[in-house]
Amino acid sequence: MIADWPLIFPAASLRSGRSPVPAKAGIGLRFPHHQAVVDTHPEVAWLEVHTENYMGGGTSLRCLETIRKDYPVSLHGVGLSLGSADGLDAAHLARVKGVVERIDPGLVSEHLSWSIVGGTYLADLLPLPMTEEALDVVCRHVDQTQACLKRRLLVENPSSYLRFRHSTIPEWEFMALVAKRTGCGILCDVNNIYVSACNHGWDASAYLAALPPSAIGEIHLAGHSVKQLDGGRTLRIDDHGSRVAPEVWALYAEALARFGPVPTLIEWDTDVPPLEVLMDQAARAEGALKEAQRERARAIAA
Amino acid sequence: MNARVPSLLELQRAVRRSVVARDDAEAGGCVVAGGIEPAARLDIYRNTFASVLTNALRLSYPAVHRLVGAECFEGAARLFIDEQPPQSACLDEYGANFPETLARLEAVAALAYLPGVARLEWAVSRALHAPDAEPLDVARLAAFAENDQARVRFAPHPSAGLVRADHPADAIWRSVLEQDDAALAAIDPASGPLWLLVHRAATGVEVSRLSEIAWRFTEALFAGCPLRSALEDAPCVEAEALLAEHLAAGRFAGFSLDDTAIS
Repeated sequence: MIADWPLIFPAASLRSGRSPVPAKAGIGLRFPHHQAVVDTHPEVAWLEVHTENYMGGGTSLRCLETIRKDYPVSLHGVGLSLGSADGLDAAHLARVKGVVERIDPGLVSEHLSWSIVGGTYLADLLPLPMTEEALDVVCRHVDQTQACLKRRLLVENPSSYLRFRHSTIPEWEFMALVAKRTGCGILCDVNNIYVSACNHGWDASAYLAALPPSAIGEIHLAGHSVKQLDGGRTLRIDDHGSRVAPEVWALYAEALARFGPVPTLIEWDTDVPPLEVLMDQAARAEGALKEAQRERARAIAA
Repeated sequence: MNARVPSLLELQRAVRRSVVARDDAEAGGCVVAGGIEPAARLDIYRNTFASVLTNALRLSYPAVHRLVGAECFEGAARLFIDEQPPQSACLDEYGANFPETLARLEAVAALAYLPGVARLEWAVSRALHAPDAEPLDVARLAAFAENDQARVRFAPHPSAGLVRADHPADAIWRSVLEQDDAALAAIDPASGPLWLLVHRAATGVEVSRLSEIAWRFTEALFAGCPLRSALEDAPCVEAEALLAEHLAAGRFAGFSLDDTAIS
C-alpha cells in the first residue's frame, strides 16, 4: 500500500540520541584512523561512520563504542537501498536497527538511490528514474525505516552520471517531496549537487534554493575528480578522494546562507589521508559555520 | 523496452544486466545521452561495482593477494564476481566461495597450497567480523548430573571455525602477511595435512593446530552433536582436556539438552 500520509512521530521519538550532533564541523571516521582517534582524542565536534562497517562484532565495534563515549556520532548507511522496486531488505533493516540501538547515534542517514534488485547487490548508489512510481517506492521505504528505527531519517541527495529518459520530476523537487510526505530530513550533499549539476547541466544554486530549509539536518562536503571521456567530454566523479573543490566551498557558503548553521561533515573514502588533513578541512568548514552564525545573529538583531 | 515507459522493476533489472553482465541492450536505451554515449555513463557504475567488490575480496584475502600478485588477483576476482555477485550489502560476508574459484583456476594451479591458504583466510575474516556472543557459563553446565552432561549439545561461538588444509596453510599465511621471506622459504609445502581451529579471542583472532582426532571431535561438537555421540564418532583420548580448553577459551556460546535451548 502506498503511504500518502507521513507517519506522525511524537516529539520524544524525534530525539537526537543522548548526544545530539551539533551545528559544527565533523569528520568521517574510517578504519585507518580508529586507533588515532582513541589515542589522541582530536578536537573535532563529531564523527560519522558507515553503518555497514559495524554490523558484526569484535574490535571495530568495541572501538566505536569507546569513541561514542567521547564524541557525538552519526550513522550513515550505504546499503538500505531505499529505491528498490523489490521492497526493503528486512534483514538489512534489522541489522541497521541493531547498530542504531547499540550506538544510539545523534543522526541516522541513508541515500536517495537503489543498490539491490532480484537479490543481487550492485555495490553502488545507483540513480533512480525521477517518476511518481519511484517517489511512492522511496516514500514507502522511508516510512518503514522511520517506523522500524523509531526515529527520523535523513535522506541524502545523490550524485549521478546518467539520467533516465522517462524521468518527469526534477531531482530537487523529488527530494523536497520525499521530505514533505514522510517527515524525513534531508542530508544536503553540496558536492553531490555540484557534481550532478556539472554532469547534467543543472543550475546548482537553483537546486539549493528548491530544498526546504527546515528539512536540512546535515551537510556533506567531499572531493571529486574529473574523468576525461572520448570526444573531449568530461564527467565529474564523486570519489571522495581529495580536498573539497573551491567551487564546492562557494556553493557551501550559499547553502549556509540559505539554511543557517547545519552539522557539516568532511567525507573522505578513497586514499584516506592523515587525520590532520581531515582536521584542516573541518576547520575550514567550521570557519564558514561561525560566519553563518554571526550572520544569523546580525539578522535577528536587525 | 523503449516503446513504452519501463516500470521501476523492469528498469532495475535492465541496469543489473548492464552492470553485472555488461549488456546495455535495454538500459542503454533508457539513458539520456546528452553528448556522452550511454555505455560510457554506465561504465562508471560497472567500474565501481568491480572495484568495490575486488577490494572487498582483497580485504578478506590479503595473503592470497600477495601470493598471486595484484593483476592475477583482479582476474580471479573478476571471474568470481561474474559468477557469484553479492546478495547483500554486508560485504564482510562476501566471498565465502572464492577459495573454490581459486582451486579450479589454471593460472594459479602451480600454487597447490593456495586454496588451503584462502580457506584459512576466509575463516579468519569470518572470525574477525562475527557477532559478539557471551561465552557459555561453565557453572551452568556443571549443575547438570554426569549422565545429563553426556546429552549436552553445544552451540559454537559465532567466530569459531575449523579448516582442513593439505598443506601448511597457517605457516604460509603467517609468513606472507609478515613478509618474512626467510620463513616462507623454510616451509616444506608437503608437510601436511593440517587440522586448524580458528577463533576470536579478546586479543584477536587465534589460529591453532589440532590433531586429526581432536579436530574431528571438535567438528562434531560445533555441528551440535550431543557430547556422547561426538565421543563415539571421534574417540579422542584428550577429549576431557580439550573440552575444558574450548570452554575456558570461550569457543562455545550456549548449549541445549533434549533440543531445549538453555543458553
